[in-house]
Amino acid sequence: MSNILRSLLHRLGAALIVMIGISMLIFAIARVMPGDPARIALGPNATAEQVAALRLERHLDAPLPVQYWEFVKSVATGDLGKSLYTNRPVTTDIAQFLPATLELVFVSGILMVLIGLPIGILSAHYRGRFPDHVGRLISLLGVCTPAFVWGVILQLVLGYFWGWFPIEGQLSQSVTAAPAVTGFMLVDMAIAGNGAGFLDALHHLILPALALAMSGLGQTARLTRSNMNEVYERPYVEMARAYGFPARRIATRYAFRPALIPTLTILGLEFAAMLGNAFLVEKVFGWPGLSRYGVEVILRKDLDAIVGTVLVIAAAFLIVNIIVDILVNIINPRIRLAAGRA
Amino acid sequence: MTRFRATLLMAALSTTVLATAPAFAETVLRLDEVPVGEIDPAKATDYADSILMFNVYDTLVQPSAGKPGMDPMLAASWTVDGNVYTFTLRDDVKFHSGNPLTAEDVVYSYDRMIALGQGFSHLFAESVEKVEATDPKTVKFTLKGPFSPFLASLVRLPVVDSKLARSHQAEGKYGAFGDYSEAWLSANDAGSGAYVVESQNPQAETALAKFPGYFLGATPKSPDKVKFRYGLEASTVRALLAKGEHDIASQWLPPEVAKALAADDTMQLLTEVGTNVFYIKLNTAKAPLDDVHCRRALTYAFDYATAAKMIAVTDKVSLGNPANGPIPKGMLGSTTTVPDYAQDMEKAKAELAQCKYNPAETPLEISWIAEVPLEERFALLMQANFSQLGFKPEVKRVPWALFTEMVTKPETTPNISQISNSATTPDPDSLLFNTYHSSAKGTWQSPEYLEDAEVDKLLEAGRAETDPAKRQKIYEDLSQRLRDLAPTIYAYDQVAVFPARKAVTVPALSDDAHRYALSAFGFTFRDMEMAQ
Repeated sequence: MSNILRSLLHRLGAALIVMIGISMLIFAIARVMPGDPARIALGPNATAEQVAALRLERHLDAPLPVQYWEFVKSVATGDLGKSLYTNRPVTTDIAQFLPATLELVFVSGILMVLIGLPIGILSAHYRGRFPDHVGRLISLLGVCTPAFVWGVILQLVLGYFWGWFPIEGQLSQSVTAAPAVTGFMLVDMAIAGNGAGFLDALHHLILPALALAMSGLGQTARLTRSNMNEVYERPYVEMARAYGFPARRIATRYAFRPALIPTLTILGLEFAAMLGNAFLVEKVFGWPGLSRYGVEVILRKDLDAIVGTVLVIAAAFLIVNIIVDILVNIINPRIRLAAGRA
Repeated sequence: MTRFRATLLMAALSTTVLATAPAFAETVLRLDEVPVGEIDPAKATDYADSILMFNVYDTLVQPSAGKPGMDPMLAASWTVDGNVYTFTLRDDVKFHSGNPLTAEDVVYSYDRMIALGQGFSHLFAESVEKVEATDPKTVKFTLKGPFSPFLASLVRLPVVDSKLARSHQAEGKYGAFGDYSEAWLSANDAGSGAYVVESQNPQAETALAKFPGYFLGATPKSPDKVKFRYGLEASTVRALLAKGEHDIASQWLPPEVAKALAADDTMQLLTEVGTNVFYIKLNTAKAPLDDVHCRRALTYAFDYATAAKMIAVTDKVSLGNPANGPIPKGMLGSTTTVPDYAQDMEKAKAELAQCKYNPAETPLEISWIAEVPLEERFALLMQANFSQLGFKPEVKRVPWALFTEMVTKPETTPNISQISNSATTPDPDSLLFNTYHSSAKGTWQSPEYLEDAEVDKLLEAGRAETDPAKRQKIYEDLSQRLRDLAPTIYAYDQVAVFPARKAVTVPALSDDAHRYALSAFGFTFRDMEMAQ
């Protein structure tokens, strides 16, 4: 068995244990929050009998371990329960709302890499000079300004005043959504061969994705810069310089690769964190995503939906972490070998 | 090369904009509400759900415009014989599927609502004994006893196309009815209303289109399509309205945003009155407010004029109108002959002198619901007002979920709590019975814990009497009794304010002759007019 495969199995096993732990924790936490979920779900005018009937149907009066066992039995059959917020199966809700958030987060991730890394590389390359100052200012603003503030600023400036981008939503009013095949707007438009629709969806995606990416983008740029500066001071870079290698080759080949490892780890974490943190950006841009759904269900003490959403986001965290680990393994043979020995 | 690519991208994006620019003659109404938009009529509870219900489905009767009372809708006529209501259905009604309306559809809709036990089923569960289709066009409701608000309650029994719904039922716990088409009806419509659901995302948007075969017709300029959005942020709605990309904002926009929008020449403020109230509830089962004189003292000490200023949106439009009792003006039982409440510190002190408690020594807890920031300002106003009488009030922030638990026992219920209440039917019974009847204690509606035989008697008489004129008298007497007992400070009759573009005309939300005493019924899209 190769080292990578063994490492992967090891991590998958650990991820499963983490998922069970998270499910128990969130199951318990959701149930100690104040308020009766049945009462909240049925609305203020429901009678006591109606509330009691719903409590019985959802096993809400049973002891916590019994409730958890019922939950585990349902999950084993692919049933995450029913949302009291939307009155639909939680799996239906997640299937509908997750693609919108994944699409947003994915494009944000791309923007983080495409903008953050070059800023970091340029800052390191021109250390202490004008491009470095501009790069650091951008990254600092990105890190210290919350995503929803970026959302409102971008919405006002680029959407409202200049009119370059739509203010909100996933599609223009006159564009009909493509039949849902994958649930991802861009992919479905592409499958339907609707070029104008694809561009319209992309046009709508840019502002929220950029607002969401700003913090991670700044983080990536700052980290890349400091890591590369550190690498620039290493003897082997000194040697490369002495050999007269071009500055660009030193930057991209010798300094960037080792500097990328911590950046990649942070990128992975940022990417996964965005799944949960996208709430305010989704709210500002009227984006029908899972993050917004997650917050709404918490406010309504929608037990099944809270557990379902948290499990999905936790799974995404674990998957992204595993992918990052594999990538780091590929980039750095020393880590790969160390993992194999372990 | 880079510049070329950038130009290409911008060109592509501009092409998208041009290609997607509206190039159609059909009118689209765009409005928003808080999520979710529930289209299953048996599960509707919130404002958004009600708007959907009233446009996608029809009911046997509908509220009269500009006056209390009910008009026929799906029912051509009805007779009342004791506790039996017999409705004759219209014969020109077709559902969106093309199926004709039958009495079986009404029975199915009723049975479904009761079986699911959600939404407004509580309006019928305790009062209706059985519902039968005596022939294809006649349906008979037999009540358990006299219950005159029943007719008004029927505005909450939307009629479902039973043939269509049953053709989509899945396996479920309701025997021959499977899942009662729960899964299908949460994403599709089976109505006969003026609008058809085109697509449904309960968290984002319901898209609707005008139903050409609607039996009551529609105004010629009524919107061809409706985009009903959920959960838009206030700043987003403001930007969209200003750009002409939205038509009617929800009532939940902060007043300062509504005020800023109203300053724009292209904007108007639509209002819904006569259906909602803002009650400041006094716990009559706990010291010091178990003494009627203490309660009256607070009623006189409350500064109604400052409260009115706090909720003013513009010089002409406010989130509340002065109140003179428990029933909002315009609803059956309200009166204009009684003066509105006003602060009177002399009377307050005189009442306090008769109260058996020393205000300085008795704790007075004023709660406000954490999710409603305006209530904090009211709590602070009360704190200032009641301090003048010598009380030492303590202001307490309570999340709604916690509040609903606190009110289940009189000893944990705050001395003073604030509640906005909406009439679920166009009948005062829906506001008052669950608040003041001694059997209705322990809910968010009844933190007063009122126990008064006279009030109980009048509330029961209001349910038993069928003559509207006599009911008017009963509710006037009840209002007077409640004014005397002062279990509640009637702060103001609530007004829902909706900033909107002038391009849309909504008579039911702007002209008193067209208003309905039923919350959300003003959003009947077929009565609206869009500028071309």
